[in-house]
Amino acid sequence: MASSAINKGKPTEDILVEQRVPDKNRIALRRTLIGRFVRSLTVAFWVMFIAFSLLRFSPGDPIRTALGTDATEEQVIAMREKYGLDQPFFVQFYDYFTGFFGGNLGTSFFSEREVTEVLRMHLPVTLMIILLSMGAAVMISIPIALSVALSRRPAVTYFFRTSTSISLAIPGFFLALLGLLLFGTVFTWVPAAGYEGNFPSNLKYLWLPALVNCFSLVPILSRVLHSSLMDTLGEEFVETGVIRGVGKLKFYWSYMLRPSLAPTVVLVSYMVGIMIGGTVVMEMIFSLPGIGRELIDAVSTRDYAIVQGIVMIFGLIVVFTSFIGDLLGYLLDRRVTLS
Amino acid sequence: MSKKGKKVRPEGTLGIITGAGMMGAILLAGLLIPWFGKYDANEISSDQLLSPGGTHYFGTDMLGRDVFTRVFDAVFVDIGTAFAGVLIPLTVGTIVGTLLGISRNRRVNSFIGSLIDGINAFPFLIFVIALVSFLGAGLSSIILALSLVNWARYARIARTRAVVVNQQGYVEAARTLGYKPTRILFRHIIPNVSSETRAYALSDFTIVIIAVAALSFLGLGVNPPQAEWGAMIKDGANIITLAWWTAVFPGLAICWAGISVAIFSEGLTKRIGEGSQQ
Repeated sequence: MASSAINKGKPTEDILVEQRVPDKNRIALRRTLIGRFVRSLTVAFWVMFIAFSLLRFSPGDPIRTALGTDATEEQVIAMREKYGLDQPFFVQFYDYFTGFFGGNLGTSFFSEREVTEVLRMHLPVTLMIILLSMGAAVMISIPIALSVALSRRPAVTYFFRTSTSISLAIPGFFLALLGLLLFGTVFTWVPAAGYEGNFPSNLKYLWLPALVNCFSLVPILSRVLHSSLMDTLGEEFVETGVIRGVGKLKFYWSYMLRPSLAPTVVLVSYMVGIMIGGTVVMEMIFSLPGIGRELIDAVSTRDYAIVQGIVMIFGLIVVFTSFIGDLLGYLLDRRVTLS
Repeated sequence: MSKKGKKVRPEGTLGIITGAGMMGAILLAGLLIPWFGKYDANEISSDQLLSPGGTHYFGTDMLGRDVFTRVFDAVFVDIGTAFAGVLIPLTVGTIVGTLLGISRNRRVNSFIGSLIDGINAFPFLIFVIALVSFLGAGLSSIILALSLVNWARYARIARTRAVVVNQQGYVEAARTLGYKPTRILFRHIIPNVSSETRAYALSDFTIVIIAVAALSFLGLGVNPPQAEWGAMIKDGANIITLAWWTAVFPGLAICWAGISVAIFSEGLTKRIGEGSQQ
């Protein structure tokens, strides 16, 4: 762009202000926000209901599985009573639902551990990986998308599109394995095992899993940001910015990135779901004490109470973050209408 | 040849041909190599952990089985499972979504609509893992779990599209002509809705190929000794410093399959995009 050639002029006003919708739409806005919130609550309710129903649809009796084959009939009945499984379905769900708000998600059939305790112990590690992956992915995607958008050569765009879709087709667990082979064995930059929970010291365990996650995040993120930037480039205020000779940094931020951010922010919030899936696999490969490893352990021992709790929490996290994402996306760009 | 006689290839042709060729090649190899190869995929021998060479192109694994044969023996297991795991939700989701889109019953619409939103809220892989754990490990459970989770995504796309298609002139015209509602549904509405869901299915195919392998990698897939890419990587991961080839070649096979679909769908998108601009 020619903006760098003439960067002496100073903008007297923020042109972007004009893009915003006037206040008379406030009431309509409030209505859509409330509607979106109510819908999130409905979806959250369904999430809880589906996660709860999973256990009841499972073939075989989980209690019998937990007690082993040589359990007596009395033991089975006693345990069923203990966990309230002798109650009708909807009574059980009501108990579970109300228990959730009291911070009680039931206890494991095997280890007697409380599900909330398991979540409190292991969720921070998983959230840390997700946060790191997201941060890194945003940092990598912005310069890539900007430079592809600004270079108007079709070959660059074609290369960008092809390489992003190829990168999406490489399985994360395979990449992680190669990474572990390279950085763990050849360079020994990654500790082979163990984990330290405190913030700066845990980075040396988490940087590689986060980087591998980026291989699936960056292609999606940078593609959306790129197409959003291309839309912005067609807007008149960008031309105005060039003509005015706005400084380079100001031009990149105020005239290009800021108006293009909304779809990307919404997408980042939606991608939390994809990232949770990737993180589970990363935790298995790098032996990190996150919630994903708990999930796989619980799945292999058929500890349904824990599986149910973890699945539900992840579902609720996704519902919550996509609501926040929609909200942020709207605040960043008032032209967006909430779906 | 004069310049006039040279045919201009439509954009995206290269991608379509490359992608289809790569997929065709691996399918053909999957058909031929286990049948005509020197080794049997599950044949245990005393030649354990031989490195790749002239007799064993991809080396041998812990039990002395030929990795080359096993990689191609798994082609139809992996790609077939993923294909079924895309085709079933595509069909179910398209039909359910279309019916929702054209139905006038608001109560049913919002009820099933919020159920769809609820299913879509779960992280894809987590939900599939949980379902497979309840259904029991195995390929048929994986297909069932993928279908139970993914139909909702297709249904959401189909519903949005069906609302638009339902108001198009050609549907109105068919109604005016007095065609039966089922005929309008299957001949006029669903073909136009499914063009969108099929495009999504193509990009979903790559994700599902990886998901199937990931599930096996986590120990929820095939029963041994059946060769399967994810399970082979899982076995190879423990001895990767000792024998990298046991994990790397199955991994490359997944990449090959995934990339072929990705390139194909990229080419197709480009061609369709070009067509709609004209």
